[in-house]
Amino acid sequence: MKISTKGQYALEIIVDLAMHSDEQHLESLKNIAERRKLSEKYLERIIKLLKDAKLVKSVRGAYGGYCLGKPMQEMTVLDVLIASEGAMAPVACLLDEIECAIGKEACPTRATWELLWKEILYSAMQVTIADLIEQVEDEKE
Amino acid sequence: MKVSTRGRYGLRALVDLAVNAGEDPVSLVQVATRQNISLNYLEQVFGTLRKAGIVISIKGAGGGYKLAKLATEITVKDVLEALEGEFAIIDRVPNSSQDGVQKVIEKLVWNEIDRKVNQFLEKKTISMLAKEYQAGLEQENCMYYI
Repeated sequence: MKISTKGQYALEIIVDLAMHSDEQHLESLKNIAERRKLSEKYLERIIKLLKDAKLVKSVRGAYGGYCLGKPMQEMTVLDVLIASEGAMAPVACLLDEIECAIGKEACPTRATWELLWKEILYSAMQVTIADLIEQVEDEKE
Repeated sequence: MKVSTRGRYGLRALVDLAVNAGEDPVSLVQVATRQNISLNYLEQVFGTLRKAGIVISIKGAGGGYKLAKLATEITVKDVLEALEGEFAIIDRVPNSSQDGVQKVIEKLVWNEIDRKVNQFLEKKTISMLAKEYQAGLEQENCMYYI
């Protein structure tokens, strides 16, 4: 049960973008890729997921680039992980993806998995991108 | 991001064992039937649980498995660690060149999720799950009679 590198990079990219752009100063994929040591191709794939979730926005053209889609105080780690990793359910039956041989009501463990899932979601919801940046700045000093 | 079949089936079977435990050991055949899990697979899983000191096996006619301790003393964390290793939300690759952003994300996000989840798993005992399960079963039986 893991969050993949996709989710991990997505979070790094958002923090990086928040630190190096705003509405008036857009950032290029090339610069982000260089700082995060990612291929531009891979970065583009992750950025697309973030864009679809409206967590980043882009402007085309010569002076185009990327910035956050909403204020970083309002963007949580959970938003970023859901956009990049999906629902993060520890077992598939929580998403009704599979029919189980014993049925939900009769399952001795489903409620426990659901609570475990909530622990993950709540932890991720409690941290905003602004919190992360503040800590990065603090540790620089 | 999923708990493996070993972890899921193992926990389910162990709760079943706790609910159905009496004086005599519980036969895995019955657990397998009730929980709709292959006996072969369950035998492997219980081998691991036995080595971890969570269950004991009793050989011979009328043999089977028993919890090695009180159900109140076995946590979900014990069971999952025996079956799939320690819970960690990401694979931590030793990386000495972590930059500031990565360090902060690890500290505020990944370590925090791990801490919260492990706290939860430590709190939940097999006895608690067994009680929940029993209550669920009783409710279902009532519905059946109606």
